Amino acid sequence: MARWGMVIDLDRCTGCAACEVACKSENNVAAVSVEQADMGRASSWMKVMAHVEGEFPDTTMHFYPRPCMHCDNPPCIRVCPVQATYIDDEGIVGQIYARCIGCRYCANACPYMVKYFNWYGPEWSEAERQHLNPDVSVRPAGVIEKCTFCHHRLQKAREDARAEGRELREEDYQPACVDVCPTNAIIFGDLDNPSHAVHTLKDDPRVLRLMEDLGTQPKVYYLRPRD
Amino acid sequence: MSPSRREFLWTMGAAAATVALKGAQDVFWESDESLDVGWAPGIEERRNSTCLICPSRCGIRGRLVDGRLIRINGNPLHPLSRGGLCPRGVAGVQLLYHPERLAGPLVRSGPRGSGQWETVTREQALERIAEQLGSLRAAGRPEGLALLAGYSAGTMQDLWRQFLHNFGSSNYVADEYEDGTEAVMAVMHGIDRRPSYDLDRARLVLSFGAPLFESWWSPLQAFVAFANPDAEEESGPRFVQIDTRFSRTASRAHEWVGVRPGTHAVLALGIAYVLIRDELIDADFVARHVAGFEDFVDAQGQPREGYRSLVMRNYRTEEVSAITGVPVARITALARAVAANRPAVAVCGTDVAFAPNGLLAGLAVHSINVLMGSVNRPGGVLFADDAPVGPLTSPVLDETARAGVGRGPIGTQRPVFGSGGEALRFAAAVAGAEAPIEALLLYYANPIASSTDPSVWHEALEKIPFVVSFSPFLDDTARYADVVLPDLLPYERWQDAPTPTSYPYPVWGLARPLVEPHEGAMHTGDVVLDLARRLGGSVAASLPYESFEGLLKERTRGLFAVRRGMTLGGQFEREHHRQMEERGWWLPEHTDFEAFWDELVERGGWTDLFYDHTDPYRIAQTDSGRIELMPAKLLSALAEEGSELRPYLDVATQTAADSTEFSLRLIPYRVSTLASGTLSLERWLAEQPGIFPDVLWHPWVEVAPETAHALGLSDDTLVWVVAPRGRYRARLKVFPGTAPETVCAPYGLRQPDGEPANPLRLLDSTNDPLTGLPSWSSTFVRLEQA
Amino acid sequence: MRQAVREKLARMSNDEQILLRPLVETSRSFYIVAGLLAAVTLWGMFAYYLQVTYGLGRTGLNRPSYWGIYIICFVFFIGISHAGTLISAILRVSKAEWRRSITRSAELITVLVIGFGAIQPIIDLGRPDRVLNVIFNAQLRSPLLWDVTSIGLYFISCTIYLYVPMLPDLAIIRDSGIKAPRLYRFLAAGYRDTPAQRARLERVIGVLSIIVIPIAVSVHTVIGWIFAMTLRPMWHSTIFGPYFVMGAIYSGIAAILVAMVVLRRAFGLQQYFKDIHFDYLGRLLLLFSLLWFYFTFAEYLTAFYGGEPGEMRAFWAKLTGPFAIPFWTMVLGCFIIPLSLMSRRSMRTPRGTLIAGIAVMIGMWLERFNIVVPTSVNPRWEIESIGQYLPSWVELSIMAATFSGFTLLYMLATKFVPIVSIWEIKEGREHSVREVADRVAEYLPESA
Repeated sequence: MARWGMVIDLDRCTGCAACEVACKSENNVAAVSVEQADMGRASSWMKVMAHVEGEFPDTTMHFYPRPCMHCDNPPCIRVCPVQATYIDDEGIVGQIYARCIGCRYCANACPYMVKYFNWYGPEWSEAERQHLNPDVSVRPAGVIEKCTFCHHRLQKAREDARAEGRELREEDYQPACVDVCPTNAIIFGDLDNPSHAVHTLKDDPRVLRLMEDLGTQPKVYYLRPRD
Repeated sequence: MSPSRREFLWTMGAAAATVALKGAQDVFWESDESLDVGWAPGIEERRNSTCLICPSRCGIRGRLVDGRLIRINGNPLHPLSRGGLCPRGVAGVQLLYHPERLAGPLVRSGPRGSGQWETVTREQALERIAEQLGSLRAAGRPEGLALLAGYSAGTMQDLWRQFLHNFGSSNYVADEYEDGTEAVMAVMHGIDRRPSYDLDRARLVLSFGAPLFESWWSPLQAFVAFANPDAEEESGPRFVQIDTRFSRTASRAHEWVGVRPGTHAVLALGIAYVLIRDELIDADFVARHVAGFEDFVDAQGQPREGYRSLVMRNYRTEEVSAITGVPVARITALARAVAANRPAVAVCGTDVAFAPNGLLAGLAVHSINVLMGSVNRPGGVLFADDAPVGPLTSPVLDETARAGVGRGPIGTQRPVFGSGGEALRFAAAVAGAEAPIEALLLYYANPIASSTDPSVWHEALEKIPFVVSFSPFLDDTARYADVVLPDLLPYERWQDAPTPTSYPYPVWGLARPLVEPHEGAMHTGDVVLDLARRLGGSVAASLPYESFEGLLKERTRGLFAVRRGMTLGGQFEREHHRQMEERGWWLPEHTDFEAFWDELVERGGWTDLFYDHTDPYRIAQTDSGRIELMPAKLLSALAEEGSELRPYLDVATQTAADSTEFSLRLIPYRVSTLASGTLSLERWLAEQPGIFPDVLWHPWVEVAPETAHALGLSDDTLVWVVAPRGRYRARLKVFPGTAPETVCAPYGLRQPDGEPANPLRLLDSTNDPLTGLPSWSSTFVRLEQA
Repeated sequence: MRQAVREKLARMSNDEQILLRPLVETSRSFYIVAGLLAAVTLWGMFAYYLQVTYGLGRTGLNRPSYWGIYIICFVFFIGISHAGTLISAILRVSKAEWRRSITRSAELITVLVIGFGAIQPIIDLGRPDRVLNVIFNAQLRSPLLWDVTSIGLYFISCTIYLYVPMLPDLAIIRDSGIKAPRLYRFLAAGYRDTPAQRARLERVIGVLSIIVIPIAVSVHTVIGWIFAMTLRPMWHSTIFGPYFVMGAIYSGIAAILVAMVVLRRAFGLQQYFKDIHFDYLGRLLLLFSLLWFYFTFAEYLTAFYGGEPGEMRAFWAKLTGPFAIPFWTMVLGCFIIPLSLMSRRSMRTPRGTLIAGIAVMIGMWLERFNIVVPTSVNPRWEIESIGQYLPSWVELSIMAATFSGFTLLYMLATKFVPIVSIWEIKEGREHSVREVADRVAEYLPESA
C-alpha cells in the first residue's frame, strides 16, 4: 500500500505562488469578494507562507508552501463528530463535503490551519463556470474543505495504469502544485516506495517537519535551507 | 359532521408544520441546486501553445474538456520554461472566462468618458474605422494616424509597422517594459540590441537590481537556471542580488547585498577596483577586445583618463563602502567570488537604469562583464539572433504614403540613446498641440492606468478626434475611445511568440487557438489585414494575406527553409540537436512544409539552441571594432549637450532627501503577479499579490520597523503616500527587510473600487537625458495616516 | 383576578397565598417587560433566519477565528445551568436547611438555560440541516459527541429533578383549583401527598440529588475538554475540566443571586429570600472567587512558566495585548469586585450580592471570551498572521435573543409554578426545626 507524501525544498522555492494558483484552478477553489477577503475568509488549500528574520541589511526570508500536511496521526479526524474527515488507506486525509455539518472543530484542532470553511456558497459567474474542473466537486456553503493531494488525479492515474495493464509509475500521479512548480521545489511520491524520490529525500539530514513535536506525523517534509 | 375544536387545531398544526418543513428544505437545498453546473462525462484533450501574458512567452499546455479550457500547465517541450509556469500563466483561465470581458464591439454614443456605448457588429466597427482612416489618406494627412502599442514583439509588431508605413505614418509609439540595457549595449558594443544572459551556464549571476525572480523579462528563465531542473545534481549558478529593496529575488538569491538607494553602480565599480587591483580581470580579453581601459587621447587630441585610472583613483573600497553602506570586506569578497566563479555575469536591472544618470550607471555595471571577459562566451552576455522567419511582402508606397512617411514621426526631442519614455513624449507632443494626431489606435496599451503622468494622456486624448482601442476589456483608456473592437484573448488566437532577448537562443513560440474564438471579438491581426483591404490601393497590395493565421504560416516557411533548429522537443532532443549543430550537422526531419507546420503547431514552436561563440560581430560593432569602455559616441554626445556628466564618475543618484517635509525615498517596484494594470482583474491573482499572506486585493507599501515606529504608524494602518505631485492610499506593512528611510511601493495594484493605486504617478519628472527613461529612485515622499 | 379565584386564595394558608398569587395575578409591568423581551427574541430569530438563508458568512467569524459568540454563549449558558441542580443537590445532600426557599428558582434556571445553551452549537453550525448526522454518523472519539451525550443526559435528569420535587406543589395548585384545572391534574400525576407518597417522594429526591451531581460535573468537564483536547496554545491544558466546572458553579451562584434579588422585588418575597440567604450565598460567592483566582492563577502561571512560544503569544495577547481590556475586566468582575464586596458582612445584602452577582456574570462571560477568542486568533505557527474577530450584528442579536428568550421563559414559568417550594417551606416549619434540634443534639457529647 502506498503512503503518499511530499518533500518541499526551501532552498528551491522562490515564493512565486504558481502552486497556489494552480491548486485553485485544479480544485475549483472559489475566490471571495474583497470584503470577505478582508475578513480573512479567502481559501487557499496551498498557501505560500513567508518567514522573515533579521533587520535590514541582514534580513533573510524563506518561503514555506503550506498544503495540508496529511498527518499520519491527524488531530482533525479525531474531533469530527460526524466522521466527515478521514484518513484513507494510503494516508490521504480527506473531507466528505456531503456529510460535514460545518462545526469547524477540525479547523480549530488542526495546528497547521489548513482546513478552510465555506462561509458563503462559492460565487462563480456564468463565465467563470466554464473553467471549473469537472473532476473536482464544487463545495456548497457551510462545509469545510481542504487539500486532497489532488486525489482525483490518483484515481485517474490508477484507472489509466489498470487499462494499460501496468503498475502505477511515480510520474503518473503528481498533484497540481507539484506539476506547475517552475523550480521543481516540490517533490511528490510514495514515501514507502524505494524507487520514488521522496523515499530517500525524507531521510535527508536537512529534513524538517512542521510542529513535529506535536506528534501529528505530517507527511509533508521540508528540506531546510542550507545556509 | 363538523370537526371538533381539537381536530381543527390538530389539522392546522400539521399543515403549518408541513409548510415550515418545506420552507426549511427550500432554504437548505436551494444552495445545492445552484451548484449543479451541468457536468457530464466529457472529452479531454491537451494542446500546446504559448503564453502571451508577459514578455517571457513560456510554453503552455492547455487541458480542455469538451472544448472548454480547464487548466493551463507548462509545456515541458519549451526550452525556456521547461514545463514550469508562473502564477499569472496559470491564472489565464480566469482571463479567458472573465465576467467583465466585452461581449462585442462598442461605439461611443455619449460624450467621451461618459460610459454610454452602443453595441455594434464587427462589420459596422470595421466600416467605421476604415472610413475614418480612409478620410485621413484622402485628405493627404496619413501621418495623422498613430498607434500606441504595448509589448507585441513578433509578427503583430511587424504587421502594424508595415501597415502604418504603407498607410503613410511613422507614428508607431511603443509603450512597453524597458530596462535601459539596449542603450548600454548600443553605446559600448555598437550593437543596437538588448543583451542575452546565459544564466544556465554561468557560475555566478551578479544581479544589480534586476528583479530576476519576479518581473524580469523572463522570470522563468531565471527560475530554470536557479533550479536547473534538467541536471542530475544541483549545479545552477550562484545568484547574488545587489538591491536596495529586500525583494523576493533578494531573499531567494544565495546572497543579498543591501546597498543604499541609487548606489548600485558605485558598488559595481568598487568590485571592478578590487578586480583590477588584485589582477583578477581577464587581461587577455581586455587586451584583444576592449578599448578605453587605459588612458588615451581623444578625437580632439586631448589626453583622457581611461577606465582603469578612473576606477583606481575614485573607487577605493573604503570610499565605496562609505557610499554604498556595504562593508569593505564584503566588497572584496564579492570581487573574489566573481573571479573565482567564472563565467560570472552581471545583469543590469531597472533599479540601475531608471535613474537620472541611468545610462552611466548601466555602463558601470556592464563594465564588470567586460573586465571578466564575460561577453560572447558561455555563461556570459550574448547577442542572440532572432528566429529566421520569412519576411512580410515588401511594402509598396503610394504618393500619399511616401509624403506622410517623409514628414516623420511626431515629437521633436528624442533621447540620444534608446527610446525611453516614448509614449509619454508622444502624449506631451499631442497635448501641446504641436502634433495634429487625428486617429489613435491603442493596442495592448492602457496609458491612463500605467503612465507616470495620466493627466498628460487625458489632455492628449482630448485633442485626438478618433480613438480606437482593441482591448478585450473596457480598461481605463478604452473608456475614452470612440470605438472598441475587442481582440481575441490569448487562448483563442494565432500569434507568434518569440522569447525575449534575455534568452540567448531564438525560440519562436506559437500561440494557437485552444478554444473556439469568442463571437463578439476579432483577432486584431485580422482587423489590420481587413482594414488594409478596405483601404485598397497600395495599402492592400502590401498586405496580401487572407488571414493572420495564413500570414504566420507563410512566414514559417522561413524556418522550414533555414536548415537549422528544430521544432520544440524534449531534453534529449534538445541536447541532440545542439551537439549536432556544434559539429556542423543538421538533418532534415520533415520532407514537406505541411508536415513541418503540423508538428510545429502540435509542439508549440521552433527553436535553435546553437549559439556561435566564434562570431566576432557578436562582441563589438563599434567603429573601433572593440568594446569601448570610454565610448566615443557617448563622449561626443555629452560634449554636444554640454553635459557635466562624466562616465564612471557620475553614477550614483542623490542619496539623501533635501527637504524635511518629504523625507522618505520612494522605491516603486513591479509585483510579479500583477505586472500590468489590466491583470488585477483576475481574482485568484488578487488573492496573492505579494509576499504578505494577509494582504489580499489592497495596495500596500513597505517600510522598516524603525521608520514606522518613528512615524508612530503601526502595521496594517491605512496611510496616504504623499509626494509633491500627488498622493494615493495604501496599507502600511512593516517589513524588516526594508531599508530605513525608504518606502517600497508595488505598482500594478488597484484600490478595491478599481481606481489604480500607482506610485509611479508620484515620481518627480526627472529623466535620464541620455536615454529618456524616467528616474524611479529620486522621489521623496511622506506618509500620513489616512 | 376573578372573584372566585380570590375567594379560593383567601381560604389558603399564608405561605400559599403569597407564593401562589403570581400564578393568578399579573401586573401591567410584567406584560411590558415580557413584550420587550419577546420583541428582542423575535429580532434574534430574524437574524438567525438570515444566517441560515445566506450562510455563516453573516457572522463576524473568519479564519483563524472559527469560533466566536455562539461558542462563548454555549459555554456560558451551560455554566449558568450549574446554578440550580448542582447547588440545590449539594445543599440537599448536605442537609443545609436554608436551601428550602431557593432550590426551586435555582432548578428552574437550570432547565431553561440548558436548552438555550444547547442550541448555541447548532446555531453555530454551517449546515444545521445536517445536525442529525451527529446521530447517524456518530464518531465517538469526538469531544463534541461526548458533549451531545452528556448534555442530553443532563437535560433529562435536570428536568426530572425539577419536576419531581414540584409534585406536591402541583397537587396543591390542583386542589386549590385556582388555575387551569385540567393542566394541573395532568401535571400533578395523581399525587395526593399521602404519607407513603411523601416518603417515596423524598427517597426519589434523595437518589436524584446524588445522581445529578456527577452528571453535572461531567457536563462542564466535557465542555472544557472540547478545548483541552485540541493542540492549541492555552487550550491544551489538563486543568480545563475542573476549571470549567468551578467556573460554572461560580457563575451559577451569581445567576441565582441575581434571580433572587429580582424575584424578591417583583413578587414581594422578602419573607422567603431573607438576608441570611444572601449572606450564605454571598459567602459561597466569596469562596468561589478565591477558588476562581486559584485556578486562573494556576492556569496562567503554568503557561507562563513553560514559556512555549506558541503559548506565550496567546498569553501576552491576553495580559498586555489586544485582549488586555477583556482580560482585566474579567479579573475585576470575577475576583476583585466579588472578593472586596463579599468579604464584608455589611455587603452580603441583596444589593451587595446583586452587584457582585452581575460582576461575576459579566466576568465569567468574558472568561469564556478570553478562552475562545485569543487562542483562535493566535495560531501556533508564528509566521501565520494574527487574526481578528469582531462579532457581526447577527451574532449580537442572536446573543441578545438568547438572553431575552431565557428571561422571558423564566418569567412565564413564574406564572405556572410557585417560585418557592411551598411544601418544602411547610415541611421546614412543621418538621425540620425539630429534626435539626435533634440532629444537633446528636452531634454533641452526652451531657454528663
